[in-house]
Amino acid sequence: MQRCRLESIGVSYPNKRHFKSGSLNHAVWAGRTCVEKSKHLARDIQLLINTGIHRDDHYAEPAFAAFIQKKLGINAEFQGRKTLSFDLQNSGCGMLSAAYVITTMIQSGSVQVGMAISSEANSDKKPDPNYTYPESGAAIIVDVSPTSSEGFGGFVFKTFEKYRDLYSSVVSLLEKRGRLLVRKKQGLEEAYLQCVEPVLSELLQHENLELADIDYLIPSQISDGFLKNLADKISFPLDKIVNTTHLFADTLTTSVFLGLQYLMDQEPIAPGKKVVLLTFGAGITVGATIYYF
Amino acid sequence: MDIKTKIESLGIYLPDKIITTEDLISRCAHRPRIDFQRITGILERRVAENEYAVDLAIKAAQNALSMSRYNAEDLDMIICTSISKYNRDNEVDFEPSASVMIRNGIGAGNALNFDVVNACAGMFNGIHIMKSFLKTGLIKCGMVVSGEHNLPLVETSVKEIRRSLDKQLATLTLGDCGAAIILDGSTDEKYGFHYLEMVTGAKHNHYCYSKPSHRGPGGVLMTKARGLQRKGAEHFPRYLKKAVDKSGWTMDEIDFGIAHQVSVGGVKKGIKVTKEFLNGVMPVKFLYNVEKFGNTTTTSHFLVLHEFMLNGQIKNDHKILFVSGASGIVITNATYLLDDLPSRYQAHLGRS
Repeated sequence: MQRCRLESIGVSYPNKRHFKSGSLNHAVWAGRTCVEKSKHLARDIQLLINTGIHRDDHYAEPAFAAFIQKKLGINAEFQGRKTLSFDLQNSGCGMLSAAYVITTMIQSGSVQVGMAISSEANSDKKPDPNYTYPESGAAIIVDVSPTSSEGFGGFVFKTFEKYRDLYSSVVSLLEKRGRLLVRKKQGLEEAYLQCVEPVLSELLQHENLELADIDYLIPSQISDGFLKNLADKISFPLDKIVNTTHLFADTLTTSVFLGLQYLMDQEPIAPGKKVVLLTFGAGITVGATIYYF
Repeated sequence: MDIKTKIESLGIYLPDKIITTEDLISRCAHRPRIDFQRITGILERRVAENEYAVDLAIKAAQNALSMSRYNAEDLDMIICTSISKYNRDNEVDFEPSASVMIRNGIGAGNALNFDVVNACAGMFNGIHIMKSFLKTGLIKCGMVVSGEHNLPLVETSVKEIRRSLDKQLATLTLGDCGAAIILDGSTDEKYGFHYLEMVTGAKHNHYCYSKPSHRGPGGVLMTKARGLQRKGAEHFPRYLKKAVDKSGWTMDEIDFGIAHQVSVGGVKKGIKVTKEFLNGVMPVKFLYNVEKFGNTTTTSHFLVLHEFMLNGQIKNDHKILFVSGASGIVITNATYLLDDLPSRYQAHLGRS
């Protein structure tokens, strides 16, 4: 089966502006950067998947992806080339799930070029103190890799339902305009650590690799302490784990791709390097993939 | 051989309680002066009491599993496509995804799961994704499931409607329902989905939206119904014709069409514009049951399939044309050749 690659990546980092930008703006900034860096034009994108959880005004319908598609001007009219856009929700694992869906749809011949995009923002005037994610955006364009050595390897996702009560986010409709509430219980980070090993083992087994073969690990940036505990838990060198927590707090769905962009900004990643992307989300769901540079 | 995706099993769950349109209209704080029942053709709808969106989805999923040759543990993938995520009073769930709760509710411990949200096109969007996973051999079977608990939106609109042509008026067409389908690869290339195309015309995303109310508690669905219908009508017949042509079928061959059940008027209007597009010839007979169940959003096509397979109108080897327009605007057209699903469905529900 043909390998698919990350053809382009664009991010909208958390900023320290006084005024909030909103989830649509962050998605559009990330998406626009991604298209500018790509050899594809916006009109080449046949599939647009938005995986952001928290969006402006807490819209439930239409798909927030449609707002992003319109703003990015991706085949927004029913003429000429066409694009399907929709939302995919899988908590912190959303962007990886979307990459998996796009990769599979490309490999099945359904589309040639797809974009996964995500942004997070809380539009409430008085946000819930438990909501700690700074506003951000990330976008990737996925297409067929020109070589068999570059691109995504396998994807592994596992859901551990016994921990599903540890984290939830809801919009309360008791007050006008709704209010986003995040419910986080003690033991969440420990539970993530309990769930990581079976996912990584299956991924490495699928790829016929050892953990020592991995050059970098980019996990969801849950906290500095979590990343240190993760390194201990899986016996992986801490200096090979990408850490952006000194720059900004965890950004939920966009976190791993902000981490990848940060890594690429530090130094060009040489061909042949293997990077594992590892995401954690409510459920608890843990997702992982390996990217061959 | 081109392996097609087929519907291996179907499960529908309808709550028992019925609310008539007259009941709803009479409860409106400002009663609209138009004859809403005559315009929409909707007489009544089912509404869930003491049940939430995820409960409707789980019950539909269990019904689908009860006639399937697969067990819950066999499912490789679950995609939940509900729009309504009312899983408690006055709250909408974002995380964890509803698919986690459904996976747990039916005991599908081996399934990869996530939610897809694409307004009323959700279930077809789920099918569209799952088709690729089946085709590439990554999964052998999976479930697309939706539980639509629209009553909370209806209750807000009953309180907030102020004018006869209020944007919330279309909310009164909604009903509750759960639907689930199990998909796998067809062993006979003749049966299954012959064509499925979805396209988003995002320029027109302002015609219908749902979010928390700006006036008070609750969620709202705001619809510019006339504009939505007009824009949809401008574009969908072309895609419909393309779906039939790409399937290698002719209009005459299609046994039944199933459109998104927005209202009786909406379905008839769709037939009319298609007929005009096809130069006055529209041989396809469209089935609908919106008058009894209202607009059950993502589940509506499969609720029609359920009813007309049970009453014997839809039979084995029938060719079906699915047509859908959803807010976004998302246009969906699909052609499907039924295997023995109708006879198995009748036999399973004891009406053969």
